[in-house]
Amino acid sequence: MRMKSSPKLRPNGWDGLAAAVVLVLAVACAALVWTGGGQSGPLTAVVSADGETVDQVVLADLTEPEERTYTANGCTLRVTFGPGSAQVTASDCPTQDCVHTGKITRGGQSIVCLPARIVIQLEGGPAADSGVDLVIG
Amino acid sequence: MKLTTRQLTLCAVLTAMALALSYLENFFPLSLAIPIPGIKLGLANIVTLFALYALGPGQALLILMARCLLGAVFAGNMNALIFSVLGGVTAMAVMIGLSRLKGLSVYGVSVGGAAAHNCGQVAAAVLTLGSTAPLYYLPVLLGVSLFTGALTGLIAACLFRALAHTKLWGA
Repeated sequence: MRMKSSPKLRPNGWDGLAAAVVLVLAVACAALVWTGGGQSGPLTAVVSADGETVDQVVLADLTEPEERTYTANGCTLRVTFGPGSAQVTASDCPTQDCVHTGKITRGGQSIVCLPARIVIQLEGGPAADSGVDLVIG
Repeated sequence: MKLTTRQLTLCAVLTAMALALSYLENFFPLSLAIPIPGIKLGLANIVTLFALYALGPGQALLILMARCLLGAVFAGNMNALIFSVLGGVTAMAVMIGLSRLKGLSVYGVSVGGAAAHNCGQVAAAVLTLGSTAPLYYLPVLLGVSLFTGALTGLIAACLFRALAHTKLWGA
């Protein structure tokens, strides 16, 4: 039996170019997606299930951790909201990726649970006065 | 598409191998190191890559679709089908295009396929969740695809070298 086509088996400069294109795409994508944290307003966690917003927690208003549970598509997630952070502390979903994601703290960051189809996304930025580190004079 | 018994048998064996590789990579959960939903080594892509060069795009696509469908059935999770089909078909389309470029080796084709697979899966996640949140993971997934694509490319290259010495595929 003959191969339909014979591949080159040694990496060469063209492969480097292909890798460079993927790297440039990754950097361009990061520049587009990761700079979305500059929204105004207090840091807020928006919880959505199946594309519908089910809860909003203004993290900037919290003084101590608060625990809430969300159930969708047969999975239950226990989420801990703290002052400036959100984290899935427990989930009965099969993959546990949402738990492994850990704590998110910046606007634009999100925790995705695919089996539950639940998304916890942070919106807004740090408190307005944090834009200035130090005032002198 | 008309297949000989030999071609059909080979497609069936390669589908079984792809399914076994998909199962095998569950023992190397990349998501523990990089906690992103759906992140994996993509070992089944070795079979797609091999089928693409050895059998041509038609049979490679046939094997891919059979693998996606059976994988979802065996996992008892038909929701996963949209992820594997969108990821797999995007990767296949890009690899068919790249494999026709004279200069690229199996490594470049594999890296392009891995990157396309991740783009397809993120698109599936955006469609399924009705949210653009999964796009946040795309830069990391593209970066990781450089390594996973190179790894599957390396394994595929070793496979092609070894097969050149066998009676089945040797010249």
